[in-house]
Amino acid sequence: MSDVQEATNQLLDVNLHENQRSLQVMESGPGSESENLQVTIGATVPTGFEQTAADEVREKLRSSCKISKDRGKIYFDISVESLAQVHCLRSVDNLFVVVQELKDYQFKETKEEVLKDFEELAGKLPWSDPLKVWKINTSFKKKKTKRKKINENSSKEKIDNGQGDKRDKKDVKRELSDNALESHILDYYENPAIKEEISTLVSDDLASCKDETDESSREETDPEVLKFRVTCNRAGEKHCFSSNEAARDFGGAVQDYFKWKADMTNFDVEVLLNIHDNEIVVGIALTEESLHRRNITHFGPTTLRSTLAYGMLRLCAPQPTDIIVDPMCGTGAIPIEGATEWTNCYHIAGDNNPLAVNRTANNISSLLTKNQIKEGKLSWGLPIDAVQWDVCNLPLRTGSVDIIVTDMPFGKRMGSKKRNWNLYPACLREMSRVCRPGTGRAVLLTQDKKCFTKALSGMGHLWRKVHTVWVNIGGLHAAVYLLKRTPQAFVHSSEQDGERTPWC
Amino acid sequence: MKLLTHNLLSSHVRGVGPRGLPLRLQATEVRINNVEFNPDFVARMIPKVEWEVLLEAADHLRLIEVPKGPIQGYEQDETFLRKMHHVLLEVEVLEGTLQCPESGRMFPISRGIPNMLLSSEETET
Repeated sequence: MSDVQEATNQLLDVNLHENQRSLQVMESGPGSESENLQVTIGATVPTGFEQTAADEVREKLRSSCKISKDRGKIYFDISVESLAQVHCLRSVDNLFVVVQELKDYQFKETKEEVLKDFEELAGKLPWSDPLKVWKINTSFKKKKTKRKKINENSSKEKIDNGQGDKRDKKDVKRELSDNALESHILDYYENPAIKEEISTLVSDDLASCKDETDESSREETDPEVLKFRVTCNRAGEKHCFSSNEAARDFGGAVQDYFKWKADMTNFDVEVLLNIHDNEIVVGIALTEESLHRRNITHFGPTTLRSTLAYGMLRLCAPQPTDIIVDPMCGTGAIPIEGATEWTNCYHIAGDNNPLAVNRTANNISSLLTKNQIKEGKLSWGLPIDAVQWDVCNLPLRTGSVDIIVTDMPFGKRMGSKKRNWNLYPACLREMSRVCRPGTGRAVLLTQDKKCFTKALSGMGHLWRKVHTVWVNIGGLHAAVYLLKRTPQAFVHSSEQDGERTPWC
Repeated sequence: MKLLTHNLLSSHVRGVGPRGLPLRLQATEVRINNVEFNPDFVARMIPKVEWEVLLEAADHLRLIEVPKGPIQGYEQDETFLRKMHHVLLEVEVLEGTLQCPESGRMFPISRGIPNMLLSSEETET
């Protein structure tokens, strides 16, 4: 047991304190006829989870990451052959290919001069390689969209026998031979048409994400006359221009340069102009729809982003056969992400609300159906179950759970602050009972940090706070707390002096 | 509900003895799923399994070929591991009940989901 404990400790420490010592960037791929194009990819990730995302990139793509000061963005270099795997990353919301990064950009004094500079900039940028990447990415997406249409139709029929569609041969060669990755590629265009604001890619008043049916119904455009738009995100106090103005003037110059057609809603190329203080990054978007709701088909009032769920799970370093429980699962975003990505663990989703449990069960079914179609086999199993229960009185054996991951009621849209005063301590207590002493850990997301901290303060003998990640959930400043269960065994109230009621 | 899940459950009814009493399982509808066999996963799960609970549940579901306990060298014994894989992960109770053996309180299982909610009188306050 102590070996496991040590290993867990080490893993948790490595997760948290790993600095950005750069590993060797991937050496050139296997010699082949196709040119070996190296590009820089930018990814937007949930704020606060940049390091976790960087870890995933290092693990899956063997690339080191640069974490931008512009919060919620990471950058890494890959060979274009690895593009398919990039889309398989679970911790990123959106992807773009970097055209150029300009550090220490000197803005001129007046708005007119600044905007003129932007116009001139357009013609000076190294567009050709990024555009090649965009092209490869687009043809890749079109294949998946067609396949998605086939899948949508076949999923409506009864799934008795596994009728997988035949696998498309991919143009992009893949370096890793891991077949599990292939199954994630369909996730990319999996989402139903839930309109959603892509907060990091959309500037003030421009349209939000597109319905993917637009993508497939669009006819093949003449490659010479592409349609495009420019999206500008600007952050910083010393700028004398607005993002709209920058987008407009930069866009005008791009149009002149390429002779493309500007189209705000039905575009082929989305050019990104990200300005953060004195740093400018020009990029081309590789994703249209945010990836972060990929696993969920049945939404609830407070459904968590899958990318955030992934980040939280990664934070607790799940080990093979860990029992992972979300005792307030809502729509099941976290356990479902867990069952998809950590298939060698066992996941249990629970909630007291029958609506939530039903949604979770439906989401699990959808996932199973999707897996069935993709895998083309009869396998009807994921290591996940759902139970209806009360988090304050869990029907679980003492010390049987390795990891607890949950999104606690903030007290805003769900529950109330007043209820939290009673709920949080009762919750933490019951969770400490079921959590395995010594090696167990919990990752808890909440916006009600004050209540949480107070609830935790009386439980130092059971929980030790190891790390806090500050995140932004729909504009609210929330925190993800990583707790370790101390080695002390849980003592039941009947064995204590009786003081067990929640404090007020 | 899979039998592995059932193995982790215990009665939480107020006043019932030490925590950890297994729940008696009865099923009216069971489905057998075809789940991909992962020997490593099963082997590592074995130490976490409460055997009496598993055997009683398997008995109530009238499952056959259920190993009575871990055998010597089970980690490498594929036959043993496959049997355990089947019992723990492939048998799914869709409709049935879970019963607290001491208080007799019944909890329904419907569409694969057990409802373990207690009324406010029943919970410890």
